[in-house]
Amino acid sequence: MQRVRDGNEDAFREVVERHQRAVINVIYRSLGDAWEAEDLAQRVFVQVYRSAARYRPTAKFTTWLFTIVHNAILNEHRRRARHAAESLEALAEPGNPEAAGVQLADSTAADPAQEAAHRELQERIREMIGRLPDPQRTAVILCRYEGLSYEEIAQVLRCSVSAVKSLLHRARQTLKDELRGYY
Amino acid sequence: MNCRSIQAGFDERLDNRLNATQQQEFDTHIATCAKCRREWEAYAGAWQTLARHEAIEPSFSFVQRSLRRLNEPEVVTAPARWRLPVLRWALLATVVVAVGLGGWDGWRHYQGLKRAQIYASVQDATLLGDDFDVIASLDQLEGGNKL
Repeated sequence: MQRVRDGNEDAFREVVERHQRAVINVIYRSLGDAWEAEDLAQRVFVQVYRSAARYRPTAKFTTWLFTIVHNAILNEHRRRARHAAESLEALAEPGNPEAAGVQLADSTAADPAQEAAHRELQERIREMIGRLPDPQRTAVILCRYEGLSYEEIAQVLRCSVSAVKSLLHRARQTLKDELRGYY
Repeated sequence: MNCRSIQAGFDERLDNRLNATQQQEFDTHIATCAKCRREWEAYAGAWQTLARHEAIEPSFSFVQRSLRRLNEPEVVTAPARWRLPVLRWALLATVVVAVGLGGWDGWRHYQGLKRAQIYASVQDATLLGDDFDVIASLDQLEGGNKL
């Protein structure tokens, strides 16, 4: 980050390569749209580059990075609420990243019935996460998929550790009811 | 550990925040209590199911496109459109209130001056023994000109 601060583009490239998957997926799981996830992720990295001078090595880099990601997602939600516009890709096949030309990780499902069940589960999880209120959704994504601790999530969300516990507890209660039948 | 404390500890157990002793007590209770085991399996099951949501892979040119965007000019977002009329109305309201208060204060000052003049004229009339003037002044104070 010191080199990024000095305007070193190679250092910035390293940062992007190392964290692109995590950033894109946090955004994808929050917004539900793969195209927009990549677009917003690029803007996040540009923001990282431009804000590099403000990064203090006292905080873990990923915590700082996910704070920028979280703010970007909140802004995007507000923008969507104002304009109520949807991407063409999302309209065509809501939530299907393959329709948006984005690669999925390899699925191990072999036959059509399994494939259909697999897709249904993906869609159901995506929908359930999307329905959670903002702070609960972010807490779940950072905890479940990025393995952040309560303390790190608290820094990202700018709240207390007990607030994070409460957010996760409420989200899990909701998911327990909504995903019944899938586990 | 009773059922209530076990169920209150579901999150800590899921997130591996219990120490070794607590974890053992938790697991022992779950193994022996059917009700708590049912609740735990649902709670943990839903959480584990989330892990089956697949990640997406970045597109091939993601890094390149991110680097290209560094050269794009920084977009300065204008304030939300709804804020501008609100600011204007707020400013207008402030001006109206300020003018109103100033005017009210001025009016009271004028009334105060007028009252002082009338009292002065009453005093003069009293001194001169001119009852008509006193009555007229008092009328002004109490009747026609409500001060």
